[in-house]
Amino acid sequence: MASIVRNTFKAIKEKGLGTFLRELREEGYLRCLPDGNLLQTKIHNIGGKVVGVDLYGNKYYENLNAQYGRHRWVEYASKNRYNASQVPPEWHGWLHHVTDHTGDEILMLKPSRYGIGHKENFTGEGDEKIYHSKGHALNPGQRDWTRYQSWQPGKN
Amino acid sequence: MAAVWRAKVPPNSANLEEARKRVFDFFKLACRSLPKVMDIYNLDDVATISQLRSTIASQLRKNAHIKDPKVIDMLIFKGMEELENIVEHSKQRHHMIGQYVVGHHGLVQEMGTKEQGLSPFLKNFYKSNYL
Amino acid sequence: MGLGSLTSRAMIRRASTILNTTRSHNFSLVRSIVSTPELKNTASAAAEATPDPPLPPPRPPVNNARVHFPNPEDAIEVFVDGYSVKVPKGFTVLQACEVAGVDIPRFCYHSRLSIAGNCRMCLVEVEKSPKPVASCAMPALPGMKIKTDTPIAKKAREGVMEFLLMNHPLDCPICDQGGECDLQDQSMAFGSDRGRFTEMKRSVVDKNLGPLVKTVMTRCIQCTRCVRFASEVAGVEDLGILGRGSGEEIGTYVEQLMTSELSGNVIDICPVGALTSKPFAFKARNWELKGTESIDVTDAVGSNIRIDSRGPEVMRITPRLNEDVNEEWISDKTRFCYDGLKRQRLNDPMIRGSDGRFKAVSWRDALDVIAEVMHKVKPEEIVGVAGKLSDAESMMALKDFLNKMGSNNIWCEGNGGQPQADLRSGYLLNTGIADLETADVFLLIGTQPRVEAAMVNARIRKAVRSNHAKVGYIGPATDLNYDYEHLGTGPQTLQEIAEGTHSFFSAIKNAKNPAIVVGAGLFEREDKDAILSIVETIAKSANVIRPDWNGLNVLLLNAAQAASLDLGLVPESDKSIESAKFLYLMGADDVNMDKVPSDAFVVYQGHHGDQGVYRANVILPASAFSEKEGTYANTEGRAQQTVPAVPTVGDARDDWKIIRALSETAGVNLPYDSLIDVRERIRTVAPNLLSMDEREPATFSTLIKPEIKKEINPVPFKPSIENFYMTDSITRASKIMAQCSSQLLKK
Repeated sequence: MASIVRNTFKAIKEKGLGTFLRELREEGYLRCLPDGNLLQTKIHNIGGKVVGVDLYGNKYYENLNAQYGRHRWVEYASKNRYNASQVPPEWHGWLHHVTDHTGDEILMLKPSRYGIGHKENFTGEGDEKIYHSKGHALNPGQRDWTRYQSWQPGKN
Repeated sequence: MAAVWRAKVPPNSANLEEARKRVFDFFKLACRSLPKVMDIYNLDDVATISQLRSTIASQLRKNAHIKDPKVIDMLIFKGMEELENIVEHSKQRHHMIGQYVVGHHGLVQEMGTKEQGLSPFLKNFYKSNYL
Repeated sequence: MGLGSLTSRAMIRRASTILNTTRSHNFSLVRSIVSTPELKNTASAAAEATPDPPLPPPRPPVNNARVHFPNPEDAIEVFVDGYSVKVPKGFTVLQACEVAGVDIPRFCYHSRLSIAGNCRMCLVEVEKSPKPVASCAMPALPGMKIKTDTPIAKKAREGVMEFLLMNHPLDCPICDQGGECDLQDQSMAFGSDRGRFTEMKRSVVDKNLGPLVKTVMTRCIQCTRCVRFASEVAGVEDLGILGRGSGEEIGTYVEQLMTSELSGNVIDICPVGALTSKPFAFKARNWELKGTESIDVTDAVGSNIRIDSRGPEVMRITPRLNEDVNEEWISDKTRFCYDGLKRQRLNDPMIRGSDGRFKAVSWRDALDVIAEVMHKVKPEEIVGVAGKLSDAESMMALKDFLNKMGSNNIWCEGNGGQPQADLRSGYLLNTGIADLETADVFLLIGTQPRVEAAMVNARIRKAVRSNHAKVGYIGPATDLNYDYEHLGTGPQTLQEIAEGTHSFFSAIKNAKNPAIVVGAGLFEREDKDAILSIVETIAKSANVIRPDWNGLNVLLLNAAQAASLDLGLVPESDKSIESAKFLYLMGADDVNMDKVPSDAFVVYQGHHGDQGVYRANVILPASAFSEKEGTYANTEGRAQQTVPAVPTVGDARDDWKIIRALSETAGVNLPYDSLIDVRERIRTVAPNLLSMDEREPATFSTLIKPEIKKEINPVPFKPSIENFYMTDSITRASKIMAQCSSQLLKK
C-alpha cells in the first residue's frame, strides 16, 4: 500500500497534477469507484505482463503466476461500455486458451483480401449501428433484388 | 396493454346491449394498443395511428349487420385472439402491412365509383397480368 | 425342419461358393483394379456352358428412334446381345445397337457429324473378332453377333475411361458442365472406382475463342467434336488439332477468335466442360434451372429452344431437337440474346408530360389518355404498326381494334409499303427448311442467309456438302461459308437470267431440284413487284415449280412477318405514316420516325426502351416472348407457340390484353376475354396459325399470279441486315450481343 502511495506521488511529481488526473481518468481508475469489475481487473493487472494490444486498444495480459484459468485476461479499451464481443477474432483464440499464438501472430497469417474488419455487437445501440443483412430494409446499402434493369426515361 | 394479457374468455353476453358494450370495449382496447403496435412493427413510415384506427373501425363495421349476441361474442373472441397475436409480436412486419396497411385489395386504393361499369376483364387487367 | 437348420444349410452353401472362388483366384496375389473379376475365368465359364436363362423381352430403340429403310432389300440382320435386329445397309454397329435399344457409351461419336473413332469409348465385343471393336466406326455386317454387355466390353470401357480420366482434372465442383457432363455420367456408369495414375496431370493453356465460348482446355478429352462441327456444320476452319500423343491440343492454330454465327453449339456438343458458355459461367447449376420449351423469335426461322430459368430470371437458352426446323443447333443470336431480356425493360406505363419528360402513371390513366386522343383524330389518320417480335394473337387484336376505330392502316414492319398477302406462296419458304437439303441448285436473290437466317444457311451448306449443290448469288459481296458463284449485284443480272442469256439459267433449268430463294429485304424496294415478277418468270421457264417440288422461296427476316401476312396486316396506302395523327407502335422500333408528323400522337407498346420509345407520347409496357404465350409462324409457314418461362417484369401486361383493355376504354369492345377466344377469332381469319408445329404449305402456287410489267430500278441489292448480332429490341439491349458485334464483326 505504501508503495502505491509512493509511486503515485512520484508520478504526480514527474508529470504534473493535471496530466496525472487526466491519465487517471483516461485509464479508467475513476471508473473503478462505481465499477467493481473494472477495479478487480486493475488489481489483477498488477504483476501481469502485457502480451499485446489489438487494433481497438484492448490490452491483453498474461500472468503465469496467477491461478490457472485466470492467467490470461483482457482490459478493454472502453472503460464504461465494454463487453466480450469487443475482442477481435484473432485474439479470441489466445484469450480462450484455444491457441498459444497471440493475436498479432495470427494477424500476420491473415490474407489481406479478407477485408472486412471486426465489428462488435451493437445490439441495443440503435438501428444505425447494428448489423442488418444485405436484404434488410434498414441496411443503407440494401441490395436490390430486382432481376432486371428498367429503362430510365431521363437518359435519352 | 396489460388488459390484453389478462384477457380471459368472458361468459356469454346476456343481450345485445351487453354485446354492443363489449364491442366498444374491444375497439378501445385495440386503439390503446396501437402505439405499441406502431413501435414494434416499425410502421411509422407506412401508416399513421389514425389510419390503423380507421382500419380497425372498418373491420368492425363490416360486421355491423350482425344482431345475434352469440355471434358477436364469437367475433370479439376472434378479434381478441388476433389482437393478442399482434401485440405479442407473433406476426411480422409484412403481415401487418399486407393485412392492415395496404388492405386486401392490393395497392389499388381507388375502388368505388370509377370501377362502375367496367367489364371483369378490365378490372382484372388493372389489377394484374395474371388474373 | 426348423428355421435354424435352413439357415445353416444356406451358410454351408455360401461358404462352399466362397471357397471355390478363392481357389480359382489364388494365383493372383495383387488386388486387381478390374471391378469385373469374372473376366478372369471367362474360359472356364464358357467351358461349363450352362443353359442360358430365358432372355428378357427386347428393348425399344434408344429415344424411340424409327429406322428408315431407303431400300427394303438392303436390310441386313445383326444380333445385338442375342436379339436379332434388322437395319439398313451402311449402318454402323453403334447405330444397330441403338435400334436394338442398347445405348453405347460414346464421346467422339455424334450423329450429325462425321465419324472420328478416336475416343474408343464405344468398344463392343463382336464374335469372331480378335479384339473389341469401336462400334461407331465399324459398319454392321450381315449376321454379325454384337455383344455389348460382356466382361470384355466392360473391361475395355473401364480401361478407356481410366485413360481418359488420367489427364482430366478433378474440378467437377467448380465446373459449369457438372451435372450435365458426359464424362461424369459415364465414369459413374462404366468407370472404375479408382485410378492407378499417380504422376502429375498435364495442363493445357486456355484459348480465347471470343465473348461466347469459354475454354478450360485442361478438361478437354480430344474427342474433336468441336473441330468437326466447326468445319462441317458451321463452315469455318477456325478450330483444329495440334500436336500428338499427350501433347495433343484443340486450338485455333494462331491467336484468333471463333467467328461463326453457330459457335455456341460447340458448347452443347462438347461432352466435357472444356467448352462452356462464357456468359453463363458460374451463374447457375443446371439442376436449379426450370426448362420451358419455347420458340425463338430473333429471326424468322422459329428455332425450337428451351428457356432455362431460375426464379424470375432467364439464365440460358439451349436448343431443342426439331428435325424440320433447326435440327439440334441454334444461332448465337438465339442462344445469347437472353441477357437483353433483363436490360432496358419498360416496367410502368408512362405519359410524356408537357415538359417533355416521361412520368410513370397507372394503367387506367394511360389508357384513358390514349382513348381520349383516339376519339379526337379522324379514323383514317389512325395508323398501327406491329413490330418484329409481335405474336399472332396481339396482331389480330390490333387489327380488329383499329378496324373498329374505322382505320385500316395497319401493317407489320419489314413487309414494305404494299405487301402482297393474297397468295401465301408469295411470302413463304415454299420448299420448307428441311427439304432445302435435297435441292441441288440454289439461286439466292438479294439474300444473305448467313446473317438473315443462320439455320437456313446451315441447311444450304449441308446441301452443298452432301449433294454438291451449286449456289448462285445475286447481291452485295458477302461471305456465305460455302462456295458460291457471285452472279451479280443488282436486278440486271436477274433480268439476264430471265431472258436466258446468263449461263446460270441453264444450271437452274437442268437441275433436278432447283431452289430460288428471294430475300425479304427486297420488300422494302420500290420495284419489288417487278423483281418478283422477273423471279416468277425464271421459275416458270426453268420449271422450278412442279407438282412434287416447289422451289420458289421467300426467306423472311422477322418472326412476326409470316403471321402478319397470314392475318392480312396490309396498309391501305403506303403514305399513311406521313399523314398520321395517331400512331400505334406495337413493339415497332424500326419505323422511320422522321416521317412521322410532329403533331402526331405516338403510343409505344413494347417491352424494351428502344428506338421507338423516344418519339412516343405514351408508353405501355408489354411482355417479351419469354413471358407470354404467343403464336408465331416461321418463314416456311409453320405455326409454333412460345410458352411463358418467367413472369413479366414490373407492371407489364401481355400484348393482346393491353389492346383488349384499350378497346374497352375507347368504347369499342373487342369480343374476346381470353387467349382461347382470340384464337377462335384467328381461326376465322387464318386457321393455319392454329395447327401447332405443323407446316401448312401454301395451296396455290405463285404462278397463277398475272405478270406485272413494271420498270425495274437498276440500283444494286443492299444487305438487309447490317449487324447480325443486333436486329431487334431484345438483341440491341443485350450486352453480350454488343460485345459480339464489337469483337467479332471487326473487319
